[in-house]
Amino acid sequence: MASRKRKATTTSSTNISPSNKMWSSSSSASAGRRKKSAAASTVSGGGSAGRSRGAGKSGWDESRANEMFDAIVEEDSPDTADMEGISKLCTLLSLDPYEDIRVLVLLWKLGATKKPSEIQRDEFITGSCNMNFDSVEKLRELIPSLDTGFLDMEEFRDFYKFCFQFNRTGTHKTLDKDLVVALLKMTLSVDSPPRISPTRLSTFCEFLETNTDESYSKITLDQWRSFLDFSLEYKDDDGGFEGYDEGESAWPVLIDEYVEFMEKRNGTKKK
Amino acid sequence: MANQGNGNIIQLEDGWNNVIKRGAIDVLERTLDDGFGTSFEPKEYIRIYTTCYDMCTQRSPYNWSRDLYQRHGETIEQYLRNTVLPALQDKTGQGGTILLNELKHRWSNHQIMNKWLKKFFTYLDRYYVKHHSLPTLEQAGLQRFKEEIYQNVKEDATAAIIALVDEEREGGIIDKTLVKSIVELYESMGMGSLDSYTADFETPFLEATRAYYARKREDWITKDSTPDYLIKVEKALNEEKVRVVEYLNPASEPKLRRVVEDEILQKVQMNLLEKEGSGCRVLLANDKSEDLQRMFHLFSRLDSGLQPMANIVESFITEMGNACIDKRQTRLDSGEKDKNDDPEFVKSLIDLHEKYLGVIREIFASHHLFQKALKNSFEEIINNDVGQFSNAELMSTFCDRVLKSGGEKLSEMEVEQSLDRIESVGQRLLNQRSASDDAEKLMIAKLKVQCGTQFTSKMEGMLNDLAIGNDTKVEFDKYVAKQPPINLSFSPQILTTGFWPSYKSPEIVIPENMTKCLEMFKEWHDVTHTKRKLTWVHSLGNATVRATFGKKSYDLQVTTLQAVALNAFNDGSTLGLEELQKSLNLDLETLKPLMHSLSCGKHKVITKSPASNKINSTDTFTANAKFTCNMRKIRIPMASIEASHSKARVDEDRSYAIEAVIVRIMKARKTMKHQQLISEVLSQLAFFKPQPRVIKKRIEALIDREYLERSADDQQQYNVSFLFFHVCIAH
Repeated sequence: MASRKRKATTTSSTNISPSNKMWSSSSSASAGRRKKSAAASTVSGGGSAGRSRGAGKSGWDESRANEMFDAIVEEDSPDTADMEGISKLCTLLSLDPYEDIRVLVLLWKLGATKKPSEIQRDEFITGSCNMNFDSVEKLRELIPSLDTGFLDMEEFRDFYKFCFQFNRTGTHKTLDKDLVVALLKMTLSVDSPPRISPTRLSTFCEFLETNTDESYSKITLDQWRSFLDFSLEYKDDDGGFEGYDEGESAWPVLIDEYVEFMEKRNGTKKK
Repeated sequence: MANQGNGNIIQLEDGWNNVIKRGAIDVLERTLDDGFGTSFEPKEYIRIYTTCYDMCTQRSPYNWSRDLYQRHGETIEQYLRNTVLPALQDKTGQGGTILLNELKHRWSNHQIMNKWLKKFFTYLDRYYVKHHSLPTLEQAGLQRFKEEIYQNVKEDATAAIIALVDEEREGGIIDKTLVKSIVELYESMGMGSLDSYTADFETPFLEATRAYYARKREDWITKDSTPDYLIKVEKALNEEKVRVVEYLNPASEPKLRRVVEDEILQKVQMNLLEKEGSGCRVLLANDKSEDLQRMFHLFSRLDSGLQPMANIVESFITEMGNACIDKRQTRLDSGEKDKNDDPEFVKSLIDLHEKYLGVIREIFASHHLFQKALKNSFEEIINNDVGQFSNAELMSTFCDRVLKSGGEKLSEMEVEQSLDRIESVGQRLLNQRSASDDAEKLMIAKLKVQCGTQFTSKMEGMLNDLAIGNDTKVEFDKYVAKQPPINLSFSPQILTTGFWPSYKSPEIVIPENMTKCLEMFKEWHDVTHTKRKLTWVHSLGNATVRATFGKKSYDLQVTTLQAVALNAFNDGSTLGLEELQKSLNLDLETLKPLMHSLSCGKHKVITKSPASNKINSTDTFTANAKFTCNMRKIRIPMASIEASHSKARVDEDRSYAIEAVIVRIMKARKTMKHQQLISEVLSQLAFFKPQPRVIKKRIEALIDREYLERSADDQQQYNVSFLFFHVCIAH
């Protein structure tokens, strides 16, 4: 996750995103088996609900999962693991907490959606049950399945949105431009074949970095999501945007301006 | 009464030939033909009547009612067929008037004959006709005339009337009474309805009229200028109206009018409006009010006939406005400095508006289409900015200046400025520098008329705040009197958030003695209004400072910020700009104009070194001990730290307006396509037309705030978000 240190925060977030998109299986995400009870169990927390879940899973032990969580939290906030706690877990798993996208995939699968930059105990317990691990060793075995290449497009969209949400700070609803550029490169360039054209990604990042418009120093969730949708709809990577009409388009103005930026660039190139 | 009694039965042929034929019908026909008038002696009349009566009341088989009724009809029929028709046929071909005169004569004869016969046989009407539901004697008589005469001559008669009317249209004198009586004949032939008149006369007449005016139109439109043409139209329309009154049936009036309007107005409307050298535009340019008025009245007769004219007026005013703008552009191009007020330019725009407002009121009867045209054109003009400052900004600066100096009374201002104006007005009121409250009230009243209440409610709120402020002051003064005395007098003004624009409020460090006042007021206020939050806006405050320079002392009227700055020099110290900045906790953007007003203005109460007209960060300041002035009371003006009519502020206000419209639409529609939404927003925004991108940004802002969301299936569609949707339902 982009090279920026984050602090856990205690202020509440209004985000209520996708608790219903939790996946029961970690090894074959593309199979897309959706666990319908997940939303309800997320809300009920790690208590009795956890036990009843435990019965159904072979070898998953709620108390061991709780122990795993205990090991990464501080005493003064025993039910929340902030970035420091997540880093601890990563060290145990030999993953780089700030550079390895698998960490984000793990957090997404666990369902760390309540607040940015942290995972709650109930989220961890429910998530570990769904992924079926209660020890570091078991989790380590799952690491290969955390590759984003396993996600189908629908899952990837949700994961992509999660990346934005999780990297926010406290109650802020936007991300700094620099962080966005780092996150884009991280999420959209690792898969093979790439999710979107590499040229599109690099030109868009360049557009963001060179843009001096003050209002684009922060990027909103809508702009973030629209970029992926836009790139999937206009796949052409030689910079052509056939059929794109600003007058008709509902794309955010940021996208309009990116298209303008590209057309200007290509125009001058030709000359 | 010779034939009374049982033995004196009157035989049919006997009664008919000896009494009725000889005594009545023969006499009648003879007198009609010789034309000396027809009348019967009462005695004679009674004899005939009695014979008829007897013949109708005798018992069967000697009751002759049926025979008499039949012979009555035959008598008329034979007379018409044998005498009248040949006479008319004789006259056909000798000219319309002769035919019409003969027809008139014969028709009036028929009426006389019919009248007398009805009188003689009237007993038939009473019993026989009623009993057998037959046409009355009078109807039967008319029917005979219609069949025998009317059907044969109507076409010739109609052609003759049309010829006469055309003659009159060309200025000839015709026998109107003749035409009128023939028209009455047509009316009578309908037997109580207008059918005959309409079918046999009116329809061909209207066709002929159409043809006549079509010819005239072709003739006039090539020869005449638009005003001349319209004068002729006006005359023609009047004449046709008089014509109906004089000799046609009133029912023809609207039809005739429509035909004429259609032929000579509707069909050449655009030709007239756009005629080179005399079209609507030319008339406007030359202030031809009479011609314009005529044009307005004539076109207002047509269905939606005014719209094209209003369009021309709109584009004309826009052009005039743009000419003003071009002039300004030329002056700017020639190197004139671009200031944020350009009285000459603003004046020219105001004059333009005033002029056409007058034109629309006087000439176009304040018709709504023309009012709209004026509004549209000025919207366009005002948004056509040249130079550094927007026209709206120039206007509002001008307004501000006029009101501040209390000079000339304000003329109508543009709707477009209202948003800016709210702020300007706000500042003037607070600074208590308004020429008069009344002027402000007048202005608000005017704006209200022009912009509707939502724009002025804020301003009324402002005035209300000020009114309450006086009461507050009295109460607060009472409270202060009970407190330990402080050596400053202090009067706060409470502004209700929402009515007033949000003001920049620097967190200046207030000297201790002034802080006391603030605290005292806060204590009082918190007790009186427990649920309100108090925030100080020092940038709007004023103060009077007693300053002693050498022996003389002066009352300096300054702003709170200036007073605080002056206070820093009270001990005679010399301070650098940075030191001041730190000790007062002001940013340079505020501090620089502040120090400029004290050290570089007309009254230099602070000495700056080095002396210059600009504040540099290396400058140092000290109190000017040598300051003198003739007056004791000095006002030291300071440039307002609010860029009061800034574009940013207007943009902000507009953002709210746009968002409000979007929310209103989406609340009603729940889901909408992008294009639809944009066009709907544009149509609902009354006072400005934002770029689609600006609207899009507002949509994005609403998505961010979770009022709206993009549809999952359609990138071009927005939905009301789940949470907001429920709010909508709940309302």
